[in-house]
Amino acid sequence: MLSHLAKFVLTRDAPERSATQQRISSLSLLLLLFPLLLSLAPAFCATQQTPLDLDGNVVNPLTKAGQSVVLVFLGGDCPISGRYAPTIQRISREHEKDVRFYLVFPDRSETAQDIRKYLHDYGYSIAALRDPDHVLVKQAHAQFTPEAAVFDAKGALVYHGRIDNLYASFGHARSAPTTHELEDAIQAALAGRPPSNREVAGVGCYISDLQ
Amino acid sequence: MKQWWSVAGSCCVFAIAMGLWAGILALAQTTSSRKRNEQLTFNRDIAPIIFQSCARCHRPGESGPFPLLTYEDVKKHARQIEIVTHTHFMPPWLPESQPLEFADESRLSEKQITAIKKWVEEGSPEGNPADLPPQPKFVEGWQLGQPDLVLSASKPFQLPASGSDMYWNFIFPLPIDRTRWVKAVEIRPGDKRFVHHANILVDRMQNSRQREKEPGSGFEGMEIKIESETFDPDSHFLFWKPGTTPYVEPAGMALRLDKGTDLVLNVHLQPSGKPETIQPTIGIYFTDQPATKFPMLLQLQNDAKLDIPAGDRNFIVSDELILPIDVDLLAIYPHAHYLGKDLSAMATLPDGTTKTLIHIPHWNLNWQAVFRYAEPVFLPKGTTVSMRYVYDNSEYNPVNPNDPPQRVRGGNRAKDEMAHLWLQVLPRNFDPKAGDPRMALQETLARHNLQNNPADFEAHYNLGAMLLRQGKAAEAIPEYEAALRVRPQDTTANNALGAALIASGQPDRATAYLRTAAQRAPEYFDAHYNLGNALASAGDFPGAAEQFAAAVRIRPDDADAHANLGSALAELGQFAEAKAQLERALEINPSHALARENLQEMQGAASHP
Repeated sequence: MLSHLAKFVLTRDAPERSATQQRISSLSLLLLLFPLLLSLAPAFCATQQTPLDLDGNVVNPLTKAGQSVVLVFLGGDCPISGRYAPTIQRISREHEKDVRFYLVFPDRSETAQDIRKYLHDYGYSIAALRDPDHVLVKQAHAQFTPEAAVFDAKGALVYHGRIDNLYASFGHARSAPTTHELEDAIQAALAGRPPSNREVAGVGCYISDLQ
Repeated sequence: MKQWWSVAGSCCVFAIAMGLWAGILALAQTTSSRKRNEQLTFNRDIAPIIFQSCARCHRPGESGPFPLLTYEDVKKHARQIEIVTHTHFMPPWLPESQPLEFADESRLSEKQITAIKKWVEEGSPEGNPADLPPQPKFVEGWQLGQPDLVLSASKPFQLPASGSDMYWNFIFPLPIDRTRWVKAVEIRPGDKRFVHHANILVDRMQNSRQREKEPGSGFEGMEIKIESETFDPDSHFLFWKPGTTPYVEPAGMALRLDKGTDLVLNVHLQPSGKPETIQPTIGIYFTDQPATKFPMLLQLQNDAKLDIPAGDRNFIVSDELILPIDVDLLAIYPHAHYLGKDLSAMATLPDGTTKTLIHIPHWNLNWQAVFRYAEPVFLPKGTTVSMRYVYDNSEYNPVNPNDPPQRVRGGNRAKDEMAHLWLQVLPRNFDPKAGDPRMALQETLARHNLQNNPADFEAHYNLGAMLLRQGKAAEAIPEYEAALRVRPQDTTANNALGAALIASGQPDRATAYLRTAAQRAPEYFDAHYNLGNALASAGDFPGAAEQFAAAVRIRPDDADAHANLGSALAELGQFAEAKAQLERALEINPSHALARENLQEMQGAASHP
């Protein structure tokens, strides 16, 4: 936070004197805000515990130990996310006994209703979560949709990144993928060995408002 | 920040974080008012770029997957926009900047790209509401108003949820009862989010229907070739790509559509992850002004040279053609498949000056398009038009359809390759009395293609057709014979050779070829008609009457067929039936001289036996 403040002062173009004045007044503003927000804090708590299921209940898929978990981050308006629906469903079907799958929608503007429609349109029967505060996004180091994260039975992140290499870059899709990173990582997690890749960047849509 | 968030398990810590943010935001806003002069804002600096270059497709109902019409829309996708504009993936525009400008270039300037990048890096501020330009206005529905004729695909295509690109063809029979002139066509390819491009081909012979499993079912195929046995070259590009506004042909350049013509819509689709129903619609705008200018689509190609070794990263195919007449170049359409890498075309004028007609340094089949020049490009007689295409058949080409790479040759399938360059040219100094100047182009093209590939069926056929049209039947015959050596059973070539033999006074030799054509294609009017003529010339009137009767059955409104059937029946002494046929011919065409003459002669013969 302080680095932001420092950067702010340094990048100003106003004369030195007014800069100092500005800084002082801003600091006093901050001091004023502090007690106010602290007193509001409990009110925030009730609505800020994420991720949520589509009924608004708090769910943390990573707290239940004992089974590997795959999170697949999706964006409702991301065409590459959509195109992966058959692949995601196939992979989840093939591993449903051993792995818990969740679709995670990180876009804050996507409502539970939007997501329900999306699941219906693409024929998904996989549990879906909203992650508007990016709690799971951060735990999975997700940057794009679609992107997958594999956690082992102990809850450790063993792989995150693309599902496969169908897309070489924007607008350059292969006729079929030739590498299958997510499936490789799931098999490695189930076998208790590290996957050949810990992280492979994907091609897709940037998650909005990523901090 | 990352560390801060990773421990943000307690809601109170989280709340403090929010509070600090609020403070920072308050500070940042104070600064922005101070720095207004140099800080870019959405309202003032970015919205004009987005509205001009992105919103046409990025709005509801169009190709873009999400709208870009408001600050919220753009801010949400800001980082994405920064990347895709920086890499020139968006807006999609393949050709490099060049002196010969294209109409509707949708390339962003480096200044605009830099502005977007700077704005995103500065936190994508919204700015002063007073600076925001009005949202662009787009015409809803049909872009040129209600079309004169709207055709809808009779059967939708079900695009599967997964798989690679699909190419589907829809046939639209034209419900017109006479020749009409078309000034514009709007293609509505179905859900635009899944259609990469669409292209209409004019099928004057209803040839494509043979490829449908049942009438109206449509058929699969990336490349379709439509053969026409009369000289009626393709003249207009009817092309749709995302963001296209329908092109209105200039005065005098209307497209001719006849009764019985089919339009074939070739659509390039990409699966979306869920099953999609694609049912395109075409809107046609007629004009009362018949064409007075006759452009032609000229094709350079060298598919015969396409034999690309596996792993070759730099396989070059070139072709060149010397123009036999003065033309204006109106539009250009380069075409290769997935191995195409760098596509270019040049013109070398007789005085030695060169012009880049197009250069696409990073070919991407998904964004193929017809490019129209902002102004016609004059290419005088003697200009050499050349194409140079570079292919990458290595593993480093991410869209290589083969993994591992395999030897690839020219062909029509998506995993074959192509080296095509289409040019829409308008011959200058068109004098209808001097003959159709496009025939000179067609003849040059055919001779040129035969140099590239002596076994080019189409080139032999076309050259034969051009020679026959010029009255050089004796020269046309060997060309048709050469075409038949390549495809002995081809019905149109058998018919054409038969017609050439009749024209050169050899009806006896003609009958065998015409019979082959008529037997192989029982619904082929011309084969029956020509065979009837050949048999009549040889004195076989029963045989001739049989063939003309078949012709009349196929085309009940053809005056010539009725007249000939009447004449053959008269020769056989079947006067009542002959009279009916001749009268029918005159009913269809009251000025049919032959029918009138024969009718009079027959009546004279009947009254003075």
